[in-house]
Amino acid sequence: MLHCDPAEPEGDVSGSPVDSVRVRGTSSPFTFTPRRIQILGDHELFEDGDIHRHLYLQDLFATVTEDSPTPKVSEFRCHIAGCSLMFSSLDGYEQHYSTLHQHVCSTCRRCFPSRHLLDIHILEWHDSFFQVMAEKQSMYQCLVEGCPSKFSSSNERKDHLIRTHSYPPDFRFDRPRKNKRPKRRKGVVHTDLMDTSEEGAADSGTVLDSWATTHHTHHCEQRQSHPADTGTPTQYSRRVPSSVCFGQGSVRGFRGRREKK
Amino acid sequence: MWRLRTVGHKARGPGIRSEEFKLKRREREKVLRQARRDRHLVSKRLLLHDYDEEEGDEEHTRASVKPASSEQVVEIMCKLQTGGEDKATALRSLRNVLRSPEVHVAFIRLENSVPVLVGLLSGSDAQCRVEAAKCLHQLSHSPCPNVGLACLPATPYLLTYLSGQRGKFTELCLYTLGNLCAESEPVRERLQAQGIVMALVSCIQNHGGSLAVLEAVAFTLSQLLQAREGASKVAPLVLTLGLIPHLVAGLTPDPEFGIGAAIECAWCLHYLASCEVDKSELISQGVVSRCSSLLITLEETVAQGDLQEGLELLIWPLVRCLGNLLASSACENTEECVRDTRVLSALCGFSHRVLQMHPALTKETLWVVNNLTADSPAWCSALLSFGLLPGLLQLLPLSLGINCMVLRIVGNVAHKGSVFSLMLTQGGLLPPLCATLKMADPEVVTLSLEVLYLLVTSSQQAGEEFVKQNGQSVLEMIQYSSDEALRQRAAAIVDLLPQAAADER
Repeated sequence: MLHCDPAEPEGDVSGSPVDSVRVRGTSSPFTFTPRRIQILGDHELFEDGDIHRHLYLQDLFATVTEDSPTPKVSEFRCHIAGCSLMFSSLDGYEQHYSTLHQHVCSTCRRCFPSRHLLDIHILEWHDSFFQVMAEKQSMYQCLVEGCPSKFSSSNERKDHLIRTHSYPPDFRFDRPRKNKRPKRRKGVVHTDLMDTSEEGAADSGTVLDSWATTHHTHHCEQRQSHPADTGTPTQYSRRVPSSVCFGQGSVRGFRGRREKK
Repeated sequence: MWRLRTVGHKARGPGIRSEEFKLKRREREKVLRQARRDRHLVSKRLLLHDYDEEEGDEEHTRASVKPASSEQVVEIMCKLQTGGEDKATALRSLRNVLRSPEVHVAFIRLENSVPVLVGLLSGSDAQCRVEAAKCLHQLSHSPCPNVGLACLPATPYLLTYLSGQRGKFTELCLYTLGNLCAESEPVRERLQAQGIVMALVSCIQNHGGSLAVLEAVAFTLSQLLQAREGASKVAPLVLTLGLIPHLVAGLTPDPEFGIGAAIECAWCLHYLASCEVDKSELISQGVVSRCSSLLITLEETVAQGDLQEGLELLIWPLVRCLGNLLASSACENTEECVRDTRVLSALCGFSHRVLQMHPALTKETLWVVNNLTADSPAWCSALLSFGLLPGLLQLLPLSLGINCMVLRIVGNVAHKGSVFSLMLTQGGLLPPLCATLKMADPEVVTLSLEVLYLLVTSSQQAGEEFVKQNGQSVLEMIQYSSDEALRQRAAAIVDLLPQAAADER
């Protein structure tokens, strides 16, 4: 039989925060136990009803629709630490998440619009065997998903993209790797999450807007290659501190999942 | 039968325009909320006497428009004191003047004014007695606390008259006393010393059949009970002096009279149930069963499309009373306390029907469902077998604490074992749960994780289903939250999820 602790008769409706503190350190972080809740007369849960009664007593009660606090759908928040943006709809939230947090490289924290591009990025940028292998055989995969072509250099691939797939010459997710950069970038504030180009670092803060513009310009091409990516996340131009490792994508880096925890 | 009969104390005339009314109401609401925070939420009721009908409403409106001056008061008091003349007429004009609250202070400052009035109240002239009581009623409605204090010499007479036989006059005395009660603690102390609770008991006994008197008694009692010291000083007396059966009997809407008396009785019972007294007396007198059966009846009426204005004024205290009595230690077993399982459907039904107009009431009905289901597998299985789960899940996206209550309820059910968890999973709990995991309110996320944990630990299917819903990504995301408690919970669940299924992704 579970009753509210008589010592705190207010009936802790909110419950859990207190519980979680109390139990921390024990084996399980889970604290939920069903309990009947007693609520004393002056608890805030009773406020609206009390007010309604007193309006009735004062002859001011009425069914005034416009004043009633119609229930709202709860807000959603991006749980990624350092992001914490709020969204009034689940759609808006999911759009934000897939744009900024879904395909993220765990090593350099660049964010990609598709898993395919992220995989290619990880392979070409962070796989130490890649360069060695690339000298022996064609290793540069075409960026268009489903196209089996492979090339011996990124320039060759670029030509292929332009000629075969009508890609723009400055396709944003096909920046060649510059040898020094990853090292220099370590510990440096990453101003360009999306952009892998050097000029991207200059327009910090508006990086996503600029990305969105490019994205718009080459909308058709991108559609072809990444049918899943249709969003234009202009409203979420917010940068995430570099100290933060985030996103589902990050677990697919070369560091192991366990290690990350 | 369910209508809220606008009895004599409905001061809202047809002349008041709705916009004006709304504005006034909004302002009043703001004041009331502040007052509640200051723990001084009081209201007074002004009885517009049915007697006035004899005089005609026109005179009445004219009088209230005409600005009354303190000179008039002096003049009238002179007439009353010098004697002779028709005192009843003078008192009537005094009452008209007293309709303007500004005059109240002038009146009590006037030398000898209250003693004269009390003299007429206690005198042998019956008509003067009634008129003096009406004047006092006007004074008791004054917003100025000093006026109420000045009226104190009249209270022994008002209390004495409660045992009288004339219903209308008794009502007048009761509402006057009720208004005075609201004023301040010294006033209430004085009234209690004069035996007001006992006087109320004998008043109900004398006017057994009259619902109007019952309403007035319950109004006065509710004023005493909801006061700060009501719990400690008044509630024990009410329990021992045998008022409960009268209040329980009052929870019967009357085809003629409407629900006014039931509303007042229900609020008294709520005040009793929500303070720290021994609730066993309330339960043994059948309050729980009466409240629940009335709620069932009301829900049936509402379900037939007959939602009358003001019905929530009755539903609200009934729900609260039930909720608190179910939570009390006096209620050992909720299945024994509430025998009629239909109350569960009724509560869930209300939670939807009142949602648009009174979302706070929705939360309160869910709170009662929580109290029913917390310790009882029987109520949990009733919830599932009555098909109430889909309705509850619809409420999960809503804010204002509604989603937390729903999560507590499904948590109660899940806690009862793997069969229950499986039924929740099959009932479609996981998709909305994936949404609540993404909500901003940390309490909602915490409860969602707790419920999810109960589901995946007790049934393999829940884990698979959750992975299928792409729920894993939500958990991974929570692991990057800045809230450590959330991270721990999310990580623990990730470890529990079926790995084979997870790797397929």
